[in-house]
This record gives sequence, C-alpha cells and structure tokens, in this order.
Amino acid sequence: MKKLILSLLAIASLNFSFAQTAEEIVNKHIEAIGGVDNWKKINSLVMEASIKAQGAEIKLTRTHLHNKAMRMDIAVMGMNGYSIVTQKEGWSFMPFQGQTKYEAMTPDDVKSSQDELSILDEFITYKELGKKLEFLGKDDLEGTECFKLKLTDKAGEEITYWLDPTNYYTLKQSQKVKANGKEMESVTTYSNYKKIDEGVVYAFSLGGDWGDTEINKITINPKIDESIFKPSN
Amino acid sequence: MKKTLSFIFLAICSMNTIAQTPVNSGMFGMFEARAMGPGTMSGRISAIVGTTSDNNILYVGTAGGGVWKSTNAGSSYKPIFDKYCQSIGAIAVSPTSPNTVYVGTGESNMRNSVSIGVGMYKSTDAGDNWKKIGLDSTEHISKIIVHPSNDQIIYVAVPGPLWSDSKHRGLYKSTNGGESWEKILYKNEQTGCADILIDPKNPSTLFASMWQFRRQPFSFNSGGEGSGLFKSTDGGTTWKEITNGLPPKPFGRIAMALAPSDPTKMVAIVESKNTGLYISEDGGNNWKNQSATMNVCARPFYFSTIEIDPLDAKRVYRPAFEFAYSTDGGYSFSGASGEGGWVHSDMHTLWINPSNTNVLFLGTDGGIYRSLDKGATWSFCHNLPVGQFYHVSYDMQEPYNVYGGLQDNGSWKAPSSAPGGIGNAHWWRVGGGDGFWTQPDADGKTVYVEYQGGNMQRVNLNTLKSEEIQPKQTKGEDKLRWNWNTPIVLGSQNPKNLYVGSQYLYKSTNQGRDWVRISGDLTTNNKEKQKQEESGGLSADNTSAENHCTIFTIAESPLDEQLVWVGTDDGNIQYTTDAGKSWKNVSGNYAKSGIPAGTWVSSIEPSHFDKNTVYVTFENHMYGDHQTYLAKSTDMGATWTRIQHSEFTGFAHKICEDLINKNLFFLGTEMGLFSTLDGGKNWFRMKNNIPEYALVRDIKIHPKTHDLILGTHGRGIYIVDDIRAMRNLTSEIWDQDVYLFPTPNITLNNGKMGWGGPDVSGGWYAGNPPEIPSINYYLKERLSTGKVELEIYDANNKLLQTLPGSKRKGINKVFWNLRGTPPRVADGSVKMEGAGFTAPMVLPGTYTVKLKVKDKEYSSKINCVHDTENKDLNETDRTLVYNKAMQIQSLFGKINDDIDTIRLYQTKLKADSTNKNNKAMNAELEKLRAELMATKQTSIFADEEKLREKVSKLYGVFCSMEAKPNDIQVKSIEALEEEYAEQAKKLKQVMDKFKPKINL
Repeated sequence: MKKLILSLLAIASLNFSFAQTAEEIVNKHIEAIGGVDNWKKINSLVMEASIKAQGAEIKLTRTHLHNKAMRMDIAVMGMNGYSIVTQKEGWSFMPFQGQTKYEAMTPDDVKSSQDELSILDEFITYKELGKKLEFLGKDDLEGTECFKLKLTDKAGEEITYWLDPTNYYTLKQSQKVKANGKEMESVTTYSNYKKIDEGVVYAFSLGGDWGDTEINKITINPKIDESIFKPSN
Repeated sequence: MKKTLSFIFLAICSMNTIAQTPVNSGMFGMFEARAMGPGTMSGRISAIVGTTSDNNILYVGTAGGGVWKSTNAGSSYKPIFDKYCQSIGAIAVSPTSPNTVYVGTGESNMRNSVSIGVGMYKSTDAGDNWKKIGLDSTEHISKIIVHPSNDQIIYVAVPGPLWSDSKHRGLYKSTNGGESWEKILYKNEQTGCADILIDPKNPSTLFASMWQFRRQPFSFNSGGEGSGLFKSTDGGTTWKEITNGLPPKPFGRIAMALAPSDPTKMVAIVESKNTGLYISEDGGNNWKNQSATMNVCARPFYFSTIEIDPLDAKRVYRPAFEFAYSTDGGYSFSGASGEGGWVHSDMHTLWINPSNTNVLFLGTDGGIYRSLDKGATWSFCHNLPVGQFYHVSYDMQEPYNVYGGLQDNGSWKAPSSAPGGIGNAHWWRVGGGDGFWTQPDADGKTVYVEYQGGNMQRVNLNTLKSEEIQPKQTKGEDKLRWNWNTPIVLGSQNPKNLYVGSQYLYKSTNQGRDWVRISGDLTTNNKEKQKQEESGGLSADNTSAENHCTIFTIAESPLDEQLVWVGTDDGNIQYTTDAGKSWKNVSGNYAKSGIPAGTWVSSIEPSHFDKNTVYVTFENHMYGDHQTYLAKSTDMGATWTRIQHSEFTGFAHKICEDLINKNLFFLGTEMGLFSTLDGGKNWFRMKNNIPEYALVRDIKIHPKTHDLILGTHGRGIYIVDDIRAMRNLTSEIWDQDVYLFPTPNITLNNGKMGWGGPDVSGGWYAGNPPEIPSINYYLKERLSTGKVELEIYDANNKLLQTLPGSKRKGINKVFWNLRGTPPRVADGSVKMEGAGFTAPMVLPGTYTVKLKVKDKEYSSKINCVHDTENKDLNETDRTLVYNKAMQIQSLFGKINDDIDTIRLYQTKLKADSTNKNNKAMNAELEKLRAELMATKQTSIFADEEKLREKVSKLYGVFCSMEAKPNDIQVKSIEALEEEYAEQAKKLKQVMDKFKPKINL
C-alpha cells in the first residue's frame, strides 16, 4: 500500500517537475493534433470560413493541393477576389483594394509563400525542411503559462509558437516578416480545436489583426479541378 | 482498495488545487492599460547602441523604461525588455554576431533618483528572447564591451551599489559568452569600475577607470583613494596604474575615450580637486592637461561620456550639461547650433554611426536626438514614451485631465481622451524644472506645480500665469527644509484644503494665498543628516536632492478632514485628529512589525472605510535595503502588521486602496505593480500591458470614470480604463468556470467624440478609451477547445447580432456596436457597398445577451437608454430616425433581391446563348442591372452612382444620425422608393415579355 501511495505521488510530481525537451513537446503536439499518419493522408483540402465584424461577414474559401497549389477566395459585400500561389507562380485579384484586373505576384513573394503550400503542421515538416527547433522555456501568454518554441528556417526566418501545456495545442504564433526593408510582426491566435472525421485536429477559430476567423467546414481530400489555380477575372 | 485509491487521487488533485495561486493578473484578462506616453517630453536615456551589420537598427537603454529597439534609424521604437528590470545601465551588440545583444541592468548616472538593476541579460535573437547571465548583485552596470573578433570575450564595468559597501564591484570578464564571470580588477568595497575601453587594433590593450563614490540620503561623495586610471596589455590579467601627467589624486569619476582610427590618441575628463580635460597621444601612458570650459568638465559624476569619431581621431564629442564638439582632438570645443530646435541639457550617451559618421544619436535627460551633420544641429525623436513621473493626479472635468511632474522635464497636463485619441499635441506644459506633485484645484481653473526643493506656484490654467506660493521661514523658525519631491496635497475629504510640508506642515484654504503652519517640526530634526552644503565630494553638488529630515507624504482622511497623516523621509509617522492643533508621533511602533526604525515613509493611505485604519509604504533603499515594506494599522498606528508576499519585488512607493471594494488594493514599487483582491492575503504582479517591473511611483483611481491611473518613473502614464469589472471580481466569481458580468446601462450614442482626423503631430499615440461600454465575462482558463459566441436579442426575442467571443483567461471584453445585423449585399458588385457594414442603432429598451461557451449558455440583460445629454435628438425623433433607417434598409433589400433575380436569370440564360430570346433578355436584364447598381466602375477614384449606391448612401446617413432628420432627408426616401418602383415595374415588364420565349 505504502509503495502504491509513493508511486502515485511520484507520478503526480512528475507532471509538475519533469523538464521537457523541445522534441518531446513537439511529439506530444503532433500526437495531440492527430498524429503524423493521419496528417500525411491529406492530399487536398477545402476550408470554408468567415470573418464576422459587427454583424457584417466576409466569406473565405481556401482550396489547397498539398505542396502544389493554394487558392483563397474572398467574398466581401458582393465583391469577389482571390489569391493563388503555386510552386512557380502566384496571382492576386483584390477588387476591394481597387484592382480591376488580377496581378502577378513578385518572384520573391512566390518564393516566400512556398511554405504555405504544405498542408501539414509546421512541426511535422520542420526536420525535413532543415528548420532549427528551439525550446525557449515557459512563457506567460495572457495569464496562461505556455511552452514557447521557435522554428528558424534556412534563410533565418523565425516563427515563435506558444503551446498550451495541458493539451499541446498551438495557442499563438508570431512571425517576423521582412518586406521591402520593413520589419513587421504577424501574430495569429488559435482556438476552438476540433477533431474532424479524418482524425486530424484543426483550430476552427483564428484571431489576428484582420479580425476573428471562424472555420465553418473542412473537406479533406476532395477532388479539385486544377484549372482554378490559374487566374481569371 | 478501490476506495483508498480514489481517496489518494482526490488528495493529489486537491493538493494541486491548493498549490495553485488563487489569483493572478491573468484574471484581469483584457483589462489592459493604455500607455498614455507622452512622447512630447521623454525621459533619461542611458545607452544607445547600433549594429554594424544594419545601421538602421538601434538599441536604446533608458533610466526607467527598459530597452527599446528601432529597426528604422529612430523613426519608430518598440519596447523589447518589458518582462525584466527597467533600469538599464549599458547595452552592447557583438561586433561579429549582430543578433547577440547584452544588456546590463542598473543605470550608472548616480543621481539621487537613480534606480537599481539585477545583473546581466543576453539575447541571441536580436532582442526577442532574453536570458539572465549573472552579476545579479551588481546593482549598477556602466559599460559592456564585446571583444572585436572573439564574441565569447566580454568585459563589464561595474560601479556597483550606490548606497552601500559591496564586494560585487569592479571589472568583470567572461571568456565563454557570459556563462561565467571573473572579476579582473577590484580595489575595495567602496570603489567600482566606471568605464572600460578596448583598443580595437590591439584588443589585449584595455583601459579601466575605477571610481570611489557613495550616496547617503542626505549627501553624496564622489572621489577617494580607490579611484584611478589603469591600463592592461594582456587582456586584463595584469594592470598598471597610469599617473603621468594626470592631476594629483584623489580622483573622482573619469570619463575617457580613445580614437578607434588611431588608438594612440586618447582624451579623458578626470574629476579631482581641479577637474580637467587631459589628452594623451601615446596610448595613455602620458597625459597633458588642456584648458576646457566649465561645460566640458562640469558635474563629472553625472556627465561621464566623451566619444571620438570612429574614422576621425581629431573629432571629439563631449555630451554633458550641453553638447560640445572638437575638431582638433580636444584642444578646443564648440557648442551645437540651436537651428534644429532646443536640445535637452544633461547628456549621457552618444552613438556615432560607424558607416556614416555624420549621423549621431544623442541620449539626454529628456530623450533622444538625432543629428545628420555631426552634431551641429539636432532634431528630437518624439516617439519614445519613457518619461519619469514622480506623481500623477486628475481633475473632475469631462473628459478628465491627467497631471504629473517629471524628472528634469517639468509638469504637464493632458486630457484622458480627445477627438481622434491622445497624441503628443494634447500635452501641455504647466510647470518647469524637475516636476513632482502637480495638483489641479477643484475650481477647474488652477493647478499647483513645483520644481525641486519645494519651489511651488499656483498656475492659472487659462493663461499659464503663475504666482509663487511657497511658505517662507518666519521669525523663530529653523531654516525650512523642503524635500527634493515636496508634497503638495489636496484634502481627500475637503479638497479646498491645500497642504504642503517642509519640516513643518502648512495648510491653506484659499489656494495658497495664505498659509497657516499647523505643526511643529514633524521630523527627527537630526542635525547629522542636514549637512547638504558638504555634499558632492571632489565636486560640490547640492541641488536640493540631498535635503533631508523633511516631510515626504501628507494624507487627509477621506472620512474626516480633521484627521491628517504625515510621513517623513527620516521615518516619522505623525497624525492629528484636530486639524493640526495637536500631533501624535506613532513612528516608534512600526519597527515591531519588522520594518526598520527610521525608514523613509513613502506613502500613507488612510482607509476610505474605517477612520482608524491606515496603510503605509516604507522604503529603505538609501541604506542598501531593497525590501518591499508595506504595513497596515487598524488602531491609529498603535500597532502595525507588515504585509508581505513572495511576489513582491522592489522598494515600495505607493499603496492605493480602492474607493468601493475594500479588499482591492494596488501597490506600486520600484519593480512592479501589484494587486490584491482579498484585502492583502494574496498579491499578484499586474501585467496587462504594463511592463512587469515598471517603476510605479504613483497610483490613483478616478472616482467618476473608475479608471486606474499610474504614474511611472520611466514609462510615462498608464490608464486602465473603467476597472469596475475588476472591482467586482470576487472568489464567488473566480471559482466559476464562466461568469457573465452585469452590463451597466448603455447610453445610446455614437460615442462622445468625433473622429478628429489623423494625428498630425506624430509621435506617441495613446488612443482613447472605448466609446461604447463592453460586455464582460470571466473565463477561469483560456479556452483552446469549443466556441464562444454572444448573441444579442431584442425584447421580442429576435436575434439582432451574433458576436464572436474572445477566449482569454480572466475577464474578456466584447463590444456590441448597439446595432442589428447589416443588410445582405447581392453578388456582382464592383465596389465595396457601405450599407453592408452597418445597421441602425437600436432603440432604448432592454436587450438580452446570451453568452454561449461550448455547450453552456449564460444570459443577462442590457438596458440601453436614450442619451438625454444630446439636445439635438429627443426620443420621438430617435424613433423616427430608426424607423426611417429601417425603411431604407428594406428598400436596399428589395433592390438586392431584384439584382439577385436578374443574375440568376442571366446565369441560366447564358446556358443557351444561341437562343435569340435568351440573348435579348440577357441584354435587357443587364441594362436593368446597370440601372439598379454600379457596374462600370474602373477605379476607386471614379465613383459610378446608381440606385443602389444612392440608397446605400442615404441609409448610411440615417444609421449614423444623432439629430432630427431634416425634411429633405425624409423626402428623399420617398423619391428613391419611387425610383425603385419604376425599376421594379421595368423588371416585371421584361419578365412578362421574355419568360414565355426563353429557353432555361
């Protein structure tokens, strides 16, 4: 009996004192979001979402072919725009900003968008992409003590992640973006994590400077007509 | 067995619950402080360092506002050190790894008000993340040098503690990037290392200046046998003192520089009995005295910087009381031109861009200046909000104003909100010198200000004319002793009572026109602590900063104007219960609670709820004791209980009791703001957009707006707007997973102010408090799973709007714009249709808010009330405006329905485009569509206006209307309705004509 109590106490204290390594945290994160196997079964996806602000709504649809192409359609106040990125090219048509015809992305923008072509969680692919992983210790995210991790790619671009220590979900990520000589910080928060039928877990609510995005529907491996990855007004 | 197991699990679980802190700043959630700045006047800058890899990157260390980084050569700055000690002594960037940055905490401009540090920090990612790397007990660090080619070698000059002996002084070296340290030059417990130089061409050659110094609360001494100039040629292993050509010892502080382009050329300002400028042309072995002006040599303990241009050995800069530069290697100096504007005096640091030595950044007591012409002219960077307030106060205007006095930057006033938000242009100087207490009178027209040593004025706020009001010594009185930071206090119970204190307490009931001395000497009057004339050491320095045995804090009870408490800088606490006829000294009683006798009384807070209860902060840092001293007495100071908590850091400046909730307190210290919700049992550090170790000197709560107002000594003023939800946070609430707070009545208007235009003054921008009160709810933990939504229903249970809810731990705020859901906009538009973003403001009445968290629902009522202050709109007209807006919304809906119908038909018609009738109908429909809405817009600058655009515009007018509509506005609705009826008729005609003929 005494032994049992001691071992139970030992287990309990382990929870609180065991210093975890970056890789252990990442492994638990991957497990929490459905595991590598389930993620790697995803070849394509369509995500339907909306941004609501004071009752008004912006509709977003992301159509994605893993590592090949991605298209984001945006519908605002009766207007429709889109952005497309493929492995070699990219275009955007944003009539809300006064564009009357689609415009090609610069080669630099296409290059820097390549990471987004992966459907997989960054922590699944970081090793094969040669990114450096660092555990920056625990950090207070608005009252929640989180695991703080950083991934640095070969070009030196950094993304910092805050993971919920109770379930290993990403609560926030922060990325420094350097463009045209300016340095900007892009922050996204994640919540409303749900497991979908295919066994993977997605954050259905995203927050950022642009407002709160709610994902309404995710379709995994739908058949996608690849002609949508070409621009047309 | 099973029973035992579940018992053990329960025990473990409950142990964990107990182990958790019941309250923390996360509970306040989205109650984040608004950083008011200002940038109009800034604060003392202690370090500016650029990087060689990218000259647009600058790191700025401040006296009490942490580290700021600019990535655009000073156009904007961001704080990057807000989780750590805010007093910065030195910064260094590795010359070979520019992402590696070292910060030494604890400024070393050793004035009376200088703060203290906690050691060294290192970042390897250009300031994003920091790691503490030792030298924790050094308190002050003056310089860090990273070896030019081996970034593992670092030298740190440590003057060490200002107020006590210490073995932690001296010059330190690390050979492993800061993992461990070795003290390589040390003299004694009174002497530290003030400066270090490295020869960039021969990095084994180092120069170090040692400095003996000490402050006491009542005097300063710079100089002693420990001071001296030393040289090493073996990387600091051995040292040789340099004396050839230097004045006779003892020395005080030595400022020195060598020319990077020719390290044989050196200059130094050596404090001694005859402080002077010295020049060496042989690498520091021999020195020659060179005549120099007072400006070049003045106040060496405070102006310890001299620099040489990296490319030009003859160009020497001396930032000191004023800026001076030499073009002949220091033999003669000239001053900067005033063409670029006034430059704040008292300069401490200079960074010269090594790639373009025309560009200089100068750190002064009042912020950063930038020169593009080698210091001939300067322009101010008005975007660095690091002002050092001593006190903050407010008035009762609408909106209220904040007032405060700043170290070396006068006294100021600014509104708490303004059209367009608070920018630099809203700050208004009401007093000069070093500013301290700045007290607005209840008459709304007058403010009392002061500068150092109790020099006080009554200022007319309309004209800014001022009258001196300081009481003077009269016959039979001792010479008056005014503290550096003399209290000027209005009565809490009777604001017509104005109190000021030297060693005596004075009261005026006519705005300082007449004074009555209402006490004898309330201090210890210890003559040993009154020898300020001898202060300074080798250089006399008696600026009133050392005045001692003075009254420091005065507080009238909010419950009884006859009860006045006084605290002194030498440890006395005295009170009167008869408005000064008699006094009781209770200072002999607090030592029993664990607070050292004779400790400086920094603030007294008589309770708002019980006359016998009083809260007091003490601080003893001037005797080398940094403990947080807070005590409570419930029996008029007869007995005291010390309030302690493991969370406390820094010596205490201010205790503030809430005006409504007697269990809510805020404590400001030299290293943080702390709060308790349970009367002082549990305390937590306030974060909420406030630097975690902010130097919080003063705290006020506005009685009308319920705002928490903070005066910080290094980050300006902060306002936490409307803390009522914080005030209502009790254990009954925080033990619940979710709690929806009652929403106070909401007055229906578009806010109290208009837009105001862009902030044309530039600089720091603090925004405004929210125009509409928020709906607040509490979440025990941050939610990573499940949805949070708020639904607003009207009295008929009709859903008006669904709002996404935030999921932060603690109190969340959601803002309902007091409107319903905007109308739908049909597809196919060529421009953003404004109507789709808005709806009319709801009518007065009771609305229901349903908070949905995961699968649970919480509900409360919101009363929306008519704005009786708006004389342009009565309730009848409000209803008229609403009804008209809804009428237009309905018209807008019909137009969009028709557009949808047209587009639906067009799509179907296109399926058989060979059909002649299909083509014809399509063309007619398109013609109609082009009359119903804009279809030809080619640019955002070329508006096409058709029926829908006209309706949308009018709808927008009615949705934002806060006055009775005029006749034409109302009539124009009918006109548009008629125009629509025409179009609808045409559509019907087209349908009737083609429907039988087309092929769908």
